[in-house]
Amino acid sequence: MKTLSQDGLTGSLCALYERSGYRRYKMSKFEEYDLYARNKDFLVSENVLTFTDLDGRLMALKPDVTLSIIKNSREASGIEKVYYHENVYRASGGTLGFREIAQAGLECIGDVDEYCVCEVLSLAAKSLLEISSNSELDVSHLGLLCELLDCAKLSEPAKVSAIELMGGKNIGELEKLLKSEGVGEDMRRRIIGVAQLDCEAKEASEKLKELLGGIVSGESLALFCDTCDFLHGEFPETVKVDFSTVGDLNYYSGIFFKGYVRGVASGILSGGQYNGLMRKLKKSSRAIGFALYLDLLEPLFEAGGGFDSDILLLYKNASPAEIYGAAKRLSEGGASVCVMKERPKNMKFREVYRVASGGEAVREE
Amino acid sequence: MLREVKPSVKNEIINVALPKGRLGDNVYEMFSKAGYRCPELENPGRKLVFENPEVGIRFFWVKPSDVAIYVEKGAADIGVAGKDILLEYRPDVYELLDIGLGKCRMAVAAPKSFRDDLRRTLRVATKFPNVAKAHYSSFGRDIEIIKLNGSIELAPILGLSDVIVDIVETGATLRQNNLEVCETLFEISARLIANKSSYRFKGDEIKRIRDSLGAVKGAEND
Repeated sequence: MKTLSQDGLTGSLCALYERSGYRRYKMSKFEEYDLYARNKDFLVSENVLTFTDLDGRLMALKPDVTLSIIKNSREASGIEKVYYHENVYRASGGTLGFREIAQAGLECIGDVDEYCVCEVLSLAAKSLLEISSNSELDVSHLGLLCELLDCAKLSEPAKVSAIELMGGKNIGELEKLLKSEGVGEDMRRRIIGVAQLDCEAKEASEKLKELLGGIVSGESLALFCDTCDFLHGEFPETVKVDFSTVGDLNYYSGIFFKGYVRGVASGILSGGQYNGLMRKLKKSSRAIGFALYLDLLEPLFEAGGGFDSDILLLYKNASPAEIYGAAKRLSEGGASVCVMKERPKNMKFREVYRVASGGEAVREE
Repeated sequence: MLREVKPSVKNEIINVALPKGRLGDNVYEMFSKAGYRCPELENPGRKLVFENPEVGIRFFWVKPSDVAIYVEKGAADIGVAGKDILLEYRPDVYELLDIGLGKCRMAVAAPKSFRDDLRRTLRVATKFPNVAKAHYSSFGRDIEIIKLNGSIELAPILGLSDVIVDIVETGATLRQNNLEVCETLFEISARLIANKSSYRFKGDEIKRIRDSLGAVKGAEND
């Protein structure tokens, strides 16, 4: 695991996105509340901090970035590629109150083609690898999943339940549900097979062709299998295909993905093709993007050794020039040096030095 | 029947949150039969955490309603929680196996003389407000939820509520208090749950435990 700092990570992510031609999208902290009121399901938390602006409009502190980017995107031809690093404001279950949460991510909006999809997935995988080599990007395809469930002629509530059970890897209850809905044995085998899919992208591509061939649109299946093959070639260790990776079908319609790193209990990255949300916001273009929840990475930031500074330099009767000289010499190798008169309580240092007579730094036990 | 489990190849220890009480004892017995015995746990003394590095497992007892929290937050990689708890708190975890223990049902119960007056708001006493709310809102019945933490059966007897939504095992307590089941909402049993991130990074071990427990369950059902 790398030693991580939030500032360092943010810098590397911004550089990563800029190297791929994404422009920084800087936005106001406020947005009209109406945008969120109409799309509450898309938000992680329904609670939004609101206030009345001087002109009487009901405004909100942004709980989400994607909605604002879509709202302000132009319906011109071509593709708009933007990234962001912003603070959002939303209620957090753990703290029973609102929190300011740092979030990074990117959006690709417009004439999104298969290359754009592969590019965004690559950037999601690379973002995870910036955090830890021990990371995993799980990819699924909600369009194929829906087509499969439609072929099984599931009622709408049963379809929603089936997707929820797939999301929980609850194969036992999924099987019961399919039986109770009168789904035939062959179709059950296919649905359960897809629900259990949790393997490397290359293997998934082969399995999907067997499970979905002749059932779903051949073109969508071929495109997804090509994407899987590409991802396996580029990120064989990081990308898996896992159809328990599901999201809200009102918004996401194609590829959907989530990212995990070892040491963080929940998914830290989430994204996908949100053409459904675009339609809801009366935009004709397509879109794909992801968000990285930087607040969830705190356990990793803390795991960087647990020291406040590398070196504590203590002084008593030395002159300012002697102290400054000793600190300068100690920091030459890149170590952080904290200069104090007395050893502070509740702080930890790798090494402790004292300025001796003549300005020499002597290491203390 | 005791299975032999080879130590994990990656020396991964799997942290397991077990529910305190009779259900937890039965769950541990199942783990033991599946090859995940932990001699330390059988003579607990004052220890809170019990480990058997040879089979790569670490157990700890927690309050049954807290198992899902330990697993969701990653303090435990896996755990065993009742379906009632999973439906009430909806934790973001995988539900890998119905281990078939702790079978009971979630039901609406009321005094034998109860008749639902649709002109009035129905007062529902329960330990499971989310389950009760979801049930009644599915057919638009207006209710007032009275959240209690125990002795739910007392509420309709003393006029605190019209009905209760609670777990029913044999129904003996209800009968003794002149109450009866009006409606069964769903069947309950204990489920093996897993943290979503642990499933990614300790997946082989977790799947091995799931399959071993499944085999024990299968053998006991035969």
